[in-house]
Amino acid sequence: MSACVWCGRQLQATLTLAQIWRFAPIAQATVCDTCQHRFAAITSQHCPACGRQQIDETVCLDCQRWSGRPLTNHAVYVYDVAMKAYMQQYKFQGDYALRVLMQAPLAAALQRETYDVLVPIPVDQTTWRTRGFNQVTGWLRNQPFQQALLVRATHKERPQSAKARADRLRTPQPFTLAPNASQILHGQRVLLLDDVYTTGRTLRHAADQIYLGGAKAVTSLTLAR
Amino acid sequence: MQNDEDFFGRQLPLRGAPANGAVGQRALRTVGERRQCQRCGQWLAVTDRLANGDWYCRQCLQLGRLTSQHELYTIPEPNRFARVKSGGLTWTGQLSAQQDVAAQAVLRHVKTRTDHLLWAVTGAGKTEIVYPALAWALAQGWRVAWTSPRVDVCLELAPRLRQAFGGVAQALLYGGQADPYAYCPLTICTTHQLLRFKAAFDLIVVDEVDAFPLATSPMLQRAIANAQKPQGCHLLLTATPGNDLQQQVRRHQLAVTYVPLRYHGHLLPQIDLRLAWRWREGLLRNRLPSALIHQLRGYLAKHQRFLLFVPHVVDLPVISQALQLAGIQGGVTVHAADPDRPTKVQAMRDETIPFLITTTILERGVTFPNIAVVILGGDDPVFSTAALVQIAGRVGRSADFPSGQVTCYCHSHTKRVRLARGMIAHLNLQGRRQGGRP
Ligand SMILES: [Zn+2]
Ligand SMILES: [Zn+2]
Ligand SMILES: [Zn+2]
Repeated sequence: MSACVWCGRQLQATLTLAQIWRFAPIAQATVCDTCQHRFAAITSQHCPACGRQQIDETVCLDCQRWSGRPLTNHAVYVYDVAMKAYMQQYKFQGDYALRVLMQAPLAAALQRETYDVLVPIPVDQTTWRTRGFNQVTGWLRNQPFQQALLVRATHKERPQSAKARADRLRTPQPFTLAPNASQILHGQRVLLLDDVYTTGRTLRHAADQIYLGGAKAVTSLTLAR
Repeated sequence: MQNDEDFFGRQLPLRGAPANGAVGQRALRTVGERRQCQRCGQWLAVTDRLANGDWYCRQCLQLGRLTSQHELYTIPEPNRFARVKSGGLTWTGQLSAQQDVAAQAVLRHVKTRTDHLLWAVTGAGKTEIVYPALAWALAQGWRVAWTSPRVDVCLELAPRLRQAFGGVAQALLYGGQADPYAYCPLTICTTHQLLRFKAAFDLIVVDEVDAFPLATSPMLQRAIANAQKPQGCHLLLTATPGNDLQQQVRRHQLAVTYVPLRYHGHLLPQIDLRLAWRWREGLLRNRLPSALIHQLRGYLAKHQRFLLFVPHVVDLPVISQALQLAGIQGGVTVHAADPDRPTKVQAMRDETIPFLITTTILERGVTFPNIAVVILGGDDPVFSTAALVQIAGRVGRSADFPSGQVTCYCHSHTKRVRLARGMIAHLNLQGRRQGGRP
């Protein structure tokens, strides 16, 4: 018997014959059906630029306002009440065990993307010490990725989630390139990975740096939009 | 900034030592290969580890995450309170003769720091029975916690205690509240919040001790034990003690005071059992037991308002529809997660609707004068013995209407229903000895 990692309900473990034969330990991290289906997957009717769920497939107003180099983002789930509750417990309360909920859906989403190098958005040193994990890389199982970006040491800011949209859009460049970034990025198609697409400001800052590092194309994938 | 007072009798998680000389211990203690959380007492799983190598406790995460980087800091409880005359009691009400006998018994046990169970039937006025003992304890400069596993009980209790003990500072603590912590002689809190305390309280009053999830949660039981001073004592309040407590009483391991009569001196209504063989199969064809239909039509004709308890939320629309078909109309369904629950309950209070169809959630705390209670499927496991006694206790609460009918329709006789009837009979036997009237 094991319990659902989120709601705590006991699960009827379905043992495979192979597991019984090998006496292999059953993976502890399990999710019940109800919890796995709490989230709303984004359908094909989304903004082609930012991935936002819509009733049609036209470029949304927020995206029309962006100037400069366009960035195409795809998102897996709608940022709704269930997703906010999940992010609250996973990211803000720091319940790292909840990463397993998103590993399978994110693996499937990565399968659908075309890229050479996967670059997750990094967390700064303080977050690494206090939160103890990068919420984005927690969702990766064994997909290879490169930490080509670093958070500037001087970048000490209120969290993005505490800011109004106008404030966020003025946020200065928070990222620098890792020392070996050019070797990793040169001539490559790079996919950035982040948790939530809100204004797109963070991802655009990241994309700017990745282009500076010599990438030939940059797109992004977020868990939620 | 942290005050000394914030550390009195508490265990505060910090990543570095505070300036005030509070004593720290590791939040997660390593024992051999395993790790135990020193706040909630639970053992960590081997997977409860962060990417940076730190460990963390998932069991008490809601109180703020504890990692292997944290220490829990405490300053031993100094009882630094100004003495208040008569414990700050401003209540001017009168206890009945029967309540007073119980109140004196509770006071005796508190004075001798003896753990004690106050077994008072629903509607006995158990809160007021505790007032004399609480006033005495606060007058001694004791630190007291009044706790319940249920937040709604705490929220209802806090204003009553603020009124009754107007002369003493009080703090109300529960999950997700905005108010900052305050060091007070009297703390009203959910049992979860006790996890933040350590050897703080001289007296802990545990309200609704049988309520979920306290009875089945070693973590919460430990929270009470840890929050109490070693030389302190606790007082358990309940209308329906579980088997464990009843056994401790029978073995004389726990002192008990019975209050078998309601404050108006009438006995509890007994549960009237009626067999409704295969009622679930009937319901599939939109049919309810004919005895039930007959009874409910009778209630409507007499303008007798009633509560119909059903086992599950999914039963609500089906049974509601079957009632409609049988011409029993005007009622409303309500359940725990119903967003309109307060309005519907208020409509029932205001007598604008004749009946409610509900799940067990209304079992405690909600009172309607002159109400009849009908349970359909009382043999379903969702109705524990305690729940059945509580549900029966909805009837005859008011002095103007001290009696009424409780009817339970079952597919079969079950142990739980028998035990519930047994508990009511036992209390009524005690009640008759004290001069209770039917
Ligand atoms: Zn679940
Ligand atoms: Zn868009
Ligand atoms: Zn813990």
